[in-house]
Amino acid sequence: MAAGSAPKGMCRISDRMLLLVAGLIYLFLYAPIAIVIFFSFNSAKSTQNFAGFSTKWYGELLRDQTILDAFYNSLFVGVAATAIATVIGTLTALALSRNEFRGKTFADSGIYAATVMPEIVVGVSLLVFFVAAGVGLGITTIVIAHVAFTISFVTIVVRARLSGMDRSIEEAAQDLGANPVQTFLRVTLPLILPGVMAGALLAFTLSFDDFVITFFVSGVGSSTLPLKIYSMLKFGVTPVINALSTVVVLVTLVIILGASRFLGRDEAREVRRATEE
Amino acid sequence: MEERRTMQQSPPGETERKVAVRLSGVTKSFGDFAAVDDVSLDIYEGEFFSLLGPSGCGKTTTLRMIAGFEEPTAGEISVAGQQVQGVPPYKRPVNTVFQSYAIFPHLDVFDNVAFGLKRAGVKGDELRRRVTKACGMVQLAGYEKRRPNMLSGGQQQRVALARALVNRPKVLLLDEPLGALDLKLRKELQLELRTLQEEVGITFVYVTHDQEEALTMSDRIAVMNEGKVQQVADPATLYERPRNRFVAGFIGQTNVISGKVESVNGDRVLIKTAAGAEIEAIAHEEVRVEVGAEAHLAVRPEKLRFGNSGDNVFAAEVRQIVYLGASTQYIMKLADGGRLIVYQQNAHDATVNAAVGDEAQVSCDATNCLVLGG
Ligand SMILES: Nc1ncnc2c1ncn2[C@@H]1O[C@H](COP(=O)(O)OP(=O)(O)OP(=O)(O)O)[C@@H](O)[C@H]1O
Ligand SMILES: [Mg+2]
Repeated sequence: MAAGSAPKGMCRISDRMLLLVAGLIYLFLYAPIAIVIFFSFNSAKSTQNFAGFSTKWYGELLRDQTILDAFYNSLFVGVAATAIATVIGTLTALALSRNEFRGKTFADSGIYAATVMPEIVVGVSLLVFFVAAGVGLGITTIVIAHVAFTISFVTIVVRARLSGMDRSIEEAAQDLGANPVQTFLRVTLPLILPGVMAGALLAFTLSFDDFVITFFVSGVGSSTLPLKIYSMLKFGVTPVINALSTVVVLVTLVIILGASRFLGRDEAREVRRATEE
Repeated sequence: MEERRTMQQSPPGETERKVAVRLSGVTKSFGDFAAVDDVSLDIYEGEFFSLLGPSGCGKTTTLRMIAGFEEPTAGEISVAGQQVQGVPPYKRPVNTVFQSYAIFPHLDVFDNVAFGLKRAGVKGDELRRRVTKACGMVQLAGYEKRRPNMLSGGQQQRVALARALVNRPKVLLLDEPLGALDLKLRKELQLELRTLQEEVGITFVYVTHDQEEALTMSDRIAVMNEGKVQQVADPATLYERPRNRFVAGFIGQTNVISGKVESVNGDRVLIKTAAGAEIEAIAHEEVRVEVGAEAHLAVRPEKLRFGNSGDNVFAAEVRQIVYLGASTQYIMKLADGGRLIVYQQNAHDATVNAAVGDEAQVSCDATNCLVLGG
């Protein structure tokens, strides 16, 4: 009895230690964000002393046309890039999982490598590419750049879904008289749809939050929300920035929560692997 | 003899029947490796035909070529008299029951079963009527709204069957459909499948590696090994007249004795073993025998009996006795070291009372000793 209870007690102590450490980590992760959100509701202009509750900074946001423009730009870029990247990424995933070809392993690791490529490198090379190609910088180049860096994420998520799928299900559809188009629309697509949706939501948040790559490929006058926040910072941290950051956090959070509803365990693991940089 | 030969080539009782599936010289290679090697088969309409063989012998590949998922490297396949080279699976008049069932997980039982009919343009009342009937046929009435993940393995198997049969295919291909089920359910479904096949009269091509299953269900069986067809025959012929060593060993249990051909007289062959014993055997006309050549002969354990009343008598020592209920198995050691298995029925007048270690004589008739082909 005594021998049995000693390790049990030790277990409990180390369990508590773990909990404590975990708690501290959460604090470290979320306290700064919580503070930003907290001070966005400060009635005073200070970001250190809380004077009282107010939503006036949010009102300020809505009155500033440049912020609204940046918000619309971010939304437009996010939606456009997501739509294009989702289609291309899904097709890539299908192509990679269906075919055996020379250099497939290479193509496969290329997809993973793209997700861990330093953003600054991607940004610079895209800039060089656009300049060399003679493409004027602006919303279009931002969309193209965002498509380029989100495709691989979509591909990885959809591939995870495909790899869990029994190939004979599609053969069964063909066996029962469905031509390739019908097979895709009635069987393959419904089965991979959760993966496609999750990939799309992931692509949107990545695009919506992106700063580094966008910084390089946006021309003058086409600013997205992250770029706008950065430029506003030159005049110091203001409660308006806090309010704007809160909006960005909220949008991202809502979409990520949405994505995790679609994600099965397999896809979630793949996303984690892909985003662990 | 002549009559027997026709019996071997077409199902018993009828000599002229329509061919449902014909394979002529079909080969399928993956790289250098021939998974299916020069297979020629005629499968008749309304027949329950099995492809039987050990794992990796090319059964699934053969089936997939008939279904259209693989194209033969060489040779031709026709279904219901039509060449099917290059015809995609969705245009072939065959349906498949996959080993993994391949039920559509996003559709309920009704929509699974209705899938093929909808592609064929069947709608409304007729669709509902036919799907309901098919579900009833496989004892799934009332399950139409169930999701596949709420079905047991046996029920999923039935959905797969209904989903294929509802289209009234010319030929139904089944790839080890009972492989994933437990023994009891397997036995039940074997009977059900056979009854169903007789009811609908559709040609079944059934893949299995289980010889007992093939023997109990099939009209005819093609035994395959290493991509080649070893023998095509009805179950009784396969058992009683195996053509070669592989078939003799794969179907049921058998004793194989090797020796040299001493003399040939019609279908009677005298074989001398290395130990000097002479054994009288018969060779069917399809088996080539030459005097002086090496030969193998097969004797089924139940054709051997204790005593010396037969044409061939063996002296052996009882090594092991296994009581099997209806019969007893005696594992004997021959003078030359070879092993002989003997089954004795535990009938009311059973007289054997051999014990382990006893020297005993067992014998058999020449007609039960079959010379095997290569
Ligand atoms: N796509 C393929 N590429 C390469 N080899 C293959 C392919 N499909 C099958 N084979 C090989 O062909 C041989 C026959 O395979 P097949 O699936 O037809 O065997 P089987 O008789 O159905 O066996 P089992 O009872 O295990 O299902 C095997 O050795 C297999 O490895
Ligand atoms: Mg197989």
